Amino acid sequence: MRKIVIALAVLLLFAAPWIVSSPFFIHLMIMVLMWTVLGASWNILGGFTGQVSFGHSTFLGAGAYTTMILYLKLGIAPWYGIPIGGLVAALIALPIGFICFRLRGPYFALSTLAVAEIIRLVALNWESFTNGPVGLLITTLPDVTFGGRSIDWENKVPFYYIIAVIALAAIVATYIMSRTRLGAYSLAIREDIDSAEAIGINTVQTRVAALSLSAFFAGVAGGFYAMYFRYIDPDAVFSIALSVEMVFIAVVGGLTTVAGPLIGAIVLVTFGETFRQIFLVGHLIFYGLMMMIVIRYLPEGIWGKLRLWFVARH
Amino acid sequence: MALLTVKGLTKYFGGLRAVHDLSFEVQAGEILGLIGPNGAGKTTAFNLIAGFIHPTKGQILLDGESIAGMKPYAVTRKGIARTFQIVKPFKKLTVLENVTLAAFLRFPSRGEAESQARQVLERMGLGSKVFALAVDLTLSEQKRLEIARALATQPKLLLLDEPMGGLNATEIEQASELVRDICKGGVTIIWVEHVLKAIMNSSNRVVVINQGEKIADAPPGEIVENPQVIAAYLGTKKS
Amino acid sequence: METFFQSIVSGLLTGSLYAMIGVGLTVIFGVMRIINMAHGDMVMFGMYGAFLSITFLKIDPFISIILWIPIAFLIGAFIYRFLLKNIVPAGELNTLLYTAGLSLFIANFVLFVATGDYRTIKLKYAIMPLRPFGISVPIPLAIAFGMAILVTVALYWFLVRTDTGRAIRATSQEPEAAALMGVNVDRMAIITFALGTALACGAGVLLAPSLYLYPTVGEILVAKCFVIVVLGGLGSVPGAIAGGLLLGVAESLGAVYISVAYKDAIGLIMFLLVLLFRPSGLFGVGKS
Repeated sequence: MRKIVIALAVLLLFAAPWIVSSPFFIHLMIMVLMWTVLGASWNILGGFTGQVSFGHSTFLGAGAYTTMILYLKLGIAPWYGIPIGGLVAALIALPIGFICFRLRGPYFALSTLAVAEIIRLVALNWESFTNGPVGLLITTLPDVTFGGRSIDWENKVPFYYIIAVIALAAIVATYIMSRTRLGAYSLAIREDIDSAEAIGINTVQTRVAALSLSAFFAGVAGGFYAMYFRYIDPDAVFSIALSVEMVFIAVVGGLTTVAGPLIGAIVLVTFGETFRQIFLVGHLIFYGLMMMIVIRYLPEGIWGKLRLWFVARH
Repeated sequence: MALLTVKGLTKYFGGLRAVHDLSFEVQAGEILGLIGPNGAGKTTAFNLIAGFIHPTKGQILLDGESIAGMKPYAVTRKGIARTFQIVKPFKKLTVLENVTLAAFLRFPSRGEAESQARQVLERMGLGSKVFALAVDLTLSEQKRLEIARALATQPKLLLLDEPMGGLNATEIEQASELVRDICKGGVTIIWVEHVLKAIMNSSNRVVVINQGEKIADAPPGEIVENPQVIAAYLGTKKS
Repeated sequence: METFFQSIVSGLLTGSLYAMIGVGLTVIFGVMRIINMAHGDMVMFGMYGAFLSITFLKIDPFISIILWIPIAFLIGAFIYRFLLKNIVPAGELNTLLYTAGLSLFIANFVLFVATGDYRTIKLKYAIMPLRPFGISVPIPLAIAFGMAILVTVALYWFLVRTDTGRAIRATSQEPEAAALMGVNVDRMAIITFALGTALACGAGVLLAPSLYLYPTVGEILVAKCFVIVVLGGLGSVPGAIAGGLLLGVAESLGAVYISVAYKDAIGLIMFLLVLLFRPSGLFGVGKS
C-alpha cells in the first residue's frame, strides 16, 4: 500500500509541470522542493541527532558561492558546480563541527549562529573573492541540449526538474540514513548523549558525520539557489533568516521523519510565497505562528502527528 | 595480572578534593563491592574509570593497558561498561532498540545485533517487553534494561552504580541474584551500593572509601568488624 | 591619542545601552533559564514606540519612556503568563525554538504593518554634538547614557534593597531552596520576564534617536545580546553590565583600529572563545 502511494507521489512529482503550467505555480513548486531539500538537510542533523543548529545558512551560502564562482570565473557549468558546492559545504562542516560540538543544547545553537554570522561578515568583506556586498550575477546560463532539444533557461520548467531530482535524492538519503547505523546512533545521541557514549558510540564522530551529510544537501540547495535566482550576495545566502527558516520547515513538518520536511515545506512555503505575492512583505509571519503552535501543541510536527494518528487507527 | 589496576588515583574539582591517592586492584571473575558514606567519592571513581572525567593524577590500567584520559566510548570499546545511578534509558525508543544500539558495538549488522540484544534481554527477564517504550517500564525494569544495555557491549568489567536504589526487598533479592549470575557468566563486577546487606552477601571483596580515600580493602567478613569503617558509617542506615 | 579616547567614549555610550538590553536578557535566563530569542524584538518595539511618540503624539522620545516602560512590563507579563509559561516544562531547547517563532512573528507583523522602510528620528536639539574636552558626544546618546545609568541604579536598588528583588535573586541562584523558603517562584518568573522585557523596550526607546529603525533590527541585536550575556556570565547582572560596556568599547576600538567591516566579528569571536573555554563568563560568575 505504502509503495503504491510513494510511486504515485513520484509520478506526480515528475508529471506536475504538465498538469499545471502557470509560471507562478511552477515557481511555487520549485520553492517548495528547494525548501524540502533545506528542511531535509536540517532534519538530518537537528532531527536525528537532536543538535539544533541556527547557522545552516553557512552551508547554503558555501554551496551558492562555490557554484557561482566556479561558473563565473572558471566556466564550470552549474550542474557540476552544484554537487561540488555540496562537497565544499560538507568539508567546511568538519572544522565547524569539531568546534561547535564541544557545546551542548542551546549553547551549541548559539555557537552555530555566531559562526554563521562570522562567515557572513567574511563574505561581505573579502571582496576580491566574493565581490562583497555587490554580489555575483549570472547573465547567461550555458547552452545545452537535453534529449535533442536546446534547453530554454527562461522557462522555469528545466529548473523544476533539476530541483525535483535533488529533492528526491535528499529524501532517499534521509531514508537510507534512518535504516543504517548512522541513523540509529544519531537517535541515541538525541535521546541521551552520555548513555550513547557509555555504550561505545563515538558521539563526536557520529555528529560530525551527520553534520557533513546535512551540510552537503544544504550546499547543493545553495548551488541550485544560485543557478535559479542567478544573483547572490552575502546578506541573501548567509543570513540568519534563512537559517531560521530551515529550522522551522523541519520542526513544523516533523523531526526525524523522512517525509516531514516535504510536508513542512508544502505548508509553510505555499502560504509564505502566496502571501509574498499579494502583500510583498511579512510573509514569515505564518512561519512564526506555526512554530509556536507546533511547539505548544504538536511537538512531533504535522507529519509526525499524522503518522501517530494513522498508527493509532490501524 | 589483575584485570583492573587503579594506582594513586586523584581528582580535584578546582579546590575540592573528590578522590585522593586511591589504589586498588580487581581480579578477573571477582565481584568487588565499593562502599562508603554519601559524598565519599564512589561515583567520581566510577566516572574516572569509565572515562567521563579525567584524573588529575594517577593511573588506571585495564589488563595492563593504561586507559586514563580515554573518552568514554573508547573505554567501553576496550571492555568496561557502566550503568548510571539515575537510569538513563533512551526513553522514546523501544527496549529492543535500546539494547540493539549497544550490541552494534560488537555486531555491526542489524540482524546480528538485534538477535544478540534479544538474548541479553531474555537473560534479564525482559523478553516479553521488547517492544515496550523504555519510558513505560517500571523502575526495576528500567534498571534491568540499563544493565542489559551495558552487557550487550560484551564487557570484561561491569561498573554498577547503585543498582538497588529505589527497589523493594523482593526486587533487591532478585537483583543480588542477577549480579551473581552475571559474574558467573564471565563478567567481572565493581559494584557501588548503599544497601549494605546485599553488597556484603554477594561480594568477594569490599573496598571502603571515605572522603575520597580508601580506608579498608578486605573480604566482607572483615570489613564489618573494622573500627574505621564503623566510625565512617556512624549514623548511616543499614538495610 | 584623541582618536583613542573618542573611541572609548563612544564605546562606553553605546555600551551602556547594550548593557541595559543585556541585563534584561540575563535576568530572564538566570531566573527561568529561558533563552529569549524575541528579546531583540522587544528593543525594536521600544524603538517604534519612540518613533510613534514623536511622530504622532509629538512627545519627545526620552519623555515617552515613562509611558513605554510600564506598557512593556505588562506586555512581558502577558507573554510569559499566557504563552511561555506552558512551554518552559518542555525544556530549554523547545523554549528557544518557541521564542524564535515568537520573534519571527513579531518582527514580520511589524514589517507587514509598518513596511520595511528605514526610519529615523530627528530631534531639534540634537543636530550638533556636544564637545567636552574635544571629544564629540552626540546629544541623544548622551541623554540615553544618562538615563541608562539611572535605570541601572534603580534596578540595583530594586534587586538589593527590596524584598521582591531579593526574592528574584534567590530564585535565580536556587529555585528549589527559594520555593522552600516561601518564595512564590511562579510570581517571580512573571515579574522577572516582565522586568526584562521592560528593560529591553526601554533601551529601545533610548536608542531610537541614535539608530536606524527597521522591523528586523531585533535579529542583529539579539545576537549582540547573547554575546554580552555570555561574556558577562549567564544570569549575572553586574556581568551583563560589564559585558555590555566591554562589547561597546571593543566594537568601537575595533572599528577604528582594525576595520569598520569586521567590528561585529570581534564580538562574535570573543563569544565563541568564552563559550568554549570559559563558559561561566569572563569574570567566572555565570552559571552554565
